[in-house]
Amino acid sequence: MTLSVKRSTTLFLLFSACAWLSGCTSSANSRYFGQTAAPKDNVMRYVSGGEIESLDPPITNSQPDARILISLFDGLVEYHPITMDPIPSIAESWEVRPDGTEYIFHLRNNAKFSNGDPITASDFVYSIRRGFSPELASRNAYLGYYIKYSEAYNSDRSFVTDASGRFILKKDIEGEGGQTAATAADNFGPDSEFHRFLDGPERLTVPSDKKELTAALEKDAKLKAAVQGKNFVPVKAEDIGLEAIDDYTLRIKLYQPAPYFLGLLGHQFFRVVPRKVVEKYGNDWTRIENIVTSGAFKLAVHRPYDVLSVVRDPNNWDAANVKLDRIEFYPLDEQTTMMNLYKAGSVDALYNHTVPAAWFSDIKQYTAEYSLHPEVADEFYVINVKKPPMDNLKVRQAFALAIDRMDLAKFRKTLKPLVDMTPEGVFPKYEEAREKIYTEELKKQGSSLDEWKARVFDADKARKLLGEAGFPVAKSGSGYACPSFPVDKVSITYNTAESNKAVAEFIQAQWKQNLGITVPIKNMEFRTFLPLLNKVDFDGFARRGWVGDYMDPYTFLSLYYSENNEGATGWWDPKFDKMLDDANNTTDPQKRFEILARAELFVMQQQIIIPLGTNTTSWMKKPYVKGFYPNPGTLEPWKFAYIERDPAKWTTDMSTIMKENDPIVTAQVDALMASQKRMEESKTTTAAK
Amino acid sequence: MLSFILRRLLIIIPMALLVITLTWALIRLAPGTFYSSEKKLPPAIEENIKRKYGLDQPIGWQYLYMLGNITCRTKGADEKTTNGLQFNVGAYTFKCLDFGDSLKYQGQSVNEIIRRHLPYSATIGILAYLLALVIGLTAGIIAALKQNSMWDYGSMALAMLGLSVPNFVFGPILVLFFALGLYLFPPARWGGVGAIVLPVITLSAIYAAYIARLTRAGMLEVMRSDYIRTARAKGLDEKTVLLRHAIRGGLIPVISFTGPALAALLAGTVVVERVFAIPGLGNIFIQSVLNRDEPLTLGIVAFLSILIMVFNLIVDISYGFLDPRIRYE
Repeated sequence: MTLSVKRSTTLFLLFSACAWLSGCTSSANSRYFGQTAAPKDNVMRYVSGGEIESLDPPITNSQPDARILISLFDGLVEYHPITMDPIPSIAESWEVRPDGTEYIFHLRNNAKFSNGDPITASDFVYSIRRGFSPELASRNAYLGYYIKYSEAYNSDRSFVTDASGRFILKKDIEGEGGQTAATAADNFGPDSEFHRFLDGPERLTVPSDKKELTAALEKDAKLKAAVQGKNFVPVKAEDIGLEAIDDYTLRIKLYQPAPYFLGLLGHQFFRVVPRKVVEKYGNDWTRIENIVTSGAFKLAVHRPYDVLSVVRDPNNWDAANVKLDRIEFYPLDEQTTMMNLYKAGSVDALYNHTVPAAWFSDIKQYTAEYSLHPEVADEFYVINVKKPPMDNLKVRQAFALAIDRMDLAKFRKTLKPLVDMTPEGVFPKYEEAREKIYTEELKKQGSSLDEWKARVFDADKARKLLGEAGFPVAKSGSGYACPSFPVDKVSITYNTAESNKAVAEFIQAQWKQNLGITVPIKNMEFRTFLPLLNKVDFDGFARRGWVGDYMDPYTFLSLYYSENNEGATGWWDPKFDKMLDDANNTTDPQKRFEILARAELFVMQQQIIIPLGTNTTSWMKKPYVKGFYPNPGTLEPWKFAYIERDPAKWTTDMSTIMKENDPIVTAQVDALMASQKRMEESKTTTAAK
Repeated sequence: MLSFILRRLLIIIPMALLVITLTWALIRLAPGTFYSSEKKLPPAIEENIKRKYGLDQPIGWQYLYMLGNITCRTKGADEKTTNGLQFNVGAYTFKCLDFGDSLKYQGQSVNEIIRRHLPYSATIGILAYLLALVIGLTAGIIAALKQNSMWDYGSMALAMLGLSVPNFVFGPILVLFFALGLYLFPPARWGGVGAIVLPVITLSAIYAAYIARLTRAGMLEVMRSDYIRTARAKGLDEKTVLLRHAIRGGLIPVISFTGPALAALLAGTVVVERVFAIPGLGNIFIQSVLNRDEPLTLGIVAFLSILIMVFNLIVDISYGFLDPRIRYE
């Protein structure tokens, strides 16, 4: 029959195509993946993730957008290319008041916008105030809420004055509480009226909105009594704890110590924007014909969904050390397409989590290009602790223990096993402190660190705990059964994504195998899933991933801080809040970490979440791209990146890249750090005298 | 004829408004908002956002406001927008067809986004359709003329293959062969003639297959009809019979297919755009829904629905020219 012959010919063609293709991949056993030749010009082509939401720094809050904005805008500090620690940028040095509530930044005097205008302290004051303005409606504003009165301004609140014009203070209402006046000895930096106001006791603020105010007063009789018949003065941008002492000195005042505050300042929310241009064009200031930037690069081309390219800005204060002439950012979100472009040599590097699971076994052999470093991000299931049977600690512990995380890591490949709340391998100092505290604390409780670490998987203990909770697990055939467990009251809910589905099915199988319980799984489109999570309106378990905002364990622990926390578990404990506050009030970094570790142990023993793993970078770069590291946030300060044309100096092994010494990068970082080092040294010598 | 066209054009307006209303209602019914993210927003920030986008107003007012924007309304004195069509009547400034600004992409108007991305999808779409026509018509006519021969079976088998292999399989196979194997064309992204080749071929496959089958069926039916027998009996040679008489009738099914197909192609095709990283409208449409970017979704839906209705009208009119038996009153 003619037809069947035709069909089999086609099939044959397809088969030979596959054979030829697989032949193609194995023949690429050469060291590099696909076409690998350093470009002749200093241009880097980078797949940056989805299309950028806005070029206005405070507006966007996604990582892909941050990557582009880092190239276009400079801030007070820059991320260290390897560790992501804050290093000097427009601020060449800074001082921190001993009690940790005040920062003075010394700005360099040669910083310029891309139009040549100088960047001064008042530009930073303007930029950060603008970020907090309610009209801008920035979703990032909460990042800066530690700055005094910024939250009050951002959420449209008012100060209260009595008939004589005296401001009512927070402590008038709350007795203790609120910040108290500083003693003269604490005086930090030059004196000014504004500084005395900021340093003075915290003023009371109430909602400006009549309805909200009435509601707030209804709830609090003491407040009502204090506020009745008084005058209200709206909190203005000028009241925020930001002060330009002179053109090149900036003071920032916080409510309370936040030791990670400096690390936060690399975020685009705090980067500097040109006041004149923003005020002239309003919303349109980011259009290519209007935009003026402050970073190492300036905008050259923007074709949405196609390319955004930036070129070196000769006006930048650090232009002499910027090695790339141009960066092309390609906004793509189809993984296979990115890999194809990479293989064909049309792009030089990809952003994180871009290697598709199906490609993994093939790609991992390219050790000179593929990076699998821990990220400041982890994956876990949150438990709704308010609904039975998950309100029972033993049940929660049983489910957490019944997952073989080593097996999960083998299955997921880009996940490293995790039994705690903060990711493993990104906070080395903290992990030291944690090991010490855990050993101490667990010993006190009659347990041990080894036992704690064994929680990576312990099916026997899980079954025992479940039995103690009233749901006995019995042997049934080759497996187990737990007939009394109310399966209809729990489920695993996750947002639709291939990887989330794979994990959910894996965990479902683990629980079936180890506990004899088949938990139903449900998937949901992302934006349908979010409100469910925020309102803790799910049964049993929900999938969650968390990416740290800054390089400090607090960004993970603070998820469960305060009654209205964003932990999505329904759990809250004032004891935990107290621990976190204590930690932040501790100036010695190692002591602070120890208190944070205690807090982490405390919350982990409540088992409100089931940790699954630390994420890893899983991205690729061509070996000729140097000065470009798999740092924990995949946030690259672009001025360190360069194209190496000598193959002898190409990257040979990504797994050791973080420890390798690249003389070019080291020299560049050291030169930037020098001013801050000098500042610290002069401080210690004065102190010694 | 003219009154027929006018009637059809007028009906487009209420139809489009109905489509927009339904879409708007569906978007509002869907849970989640454009500003929701994994980080829970402090209530104050959420209030700021709601106020900024008028989401604190009563729902009926929001609907009317949306309707006013996309049709026509007077422009307030304090409004700075230059979006849409603006003109003065007496003391009033009217503003029409303004779909507003995208919620996700700050400072970009929906009109601007559609205008910017339509050319990409249109280029690919029209080229793909032309290619499909060439391949499909040739294959279909040959198959019809040489019915039950190797030619017929061969082209119909290929057409079957074209219909059944989805383009998310066909596209990557082409990429593997021609872009990553032979390095003939770039594997993805816009730019240069070379970059268009693979997406156009991928996109055209299914249409070529469909057209081939429609042409074959149409031609077979026409070739058996009386007027063809008459033409042959007049002594016309086979070529004239085919080109002057048979094709006009045989192509009617292809023409009816062309209307909606071309409209859909112009508005972009998600799969091909994603596989080849082409900045067309299709992908943006899908993203707008996922982002809950209401103005953008509404704008593209309105554009697409009007496009389909206009193309259908053109198709209906063209019947009259192709088949003398069809007349409009």
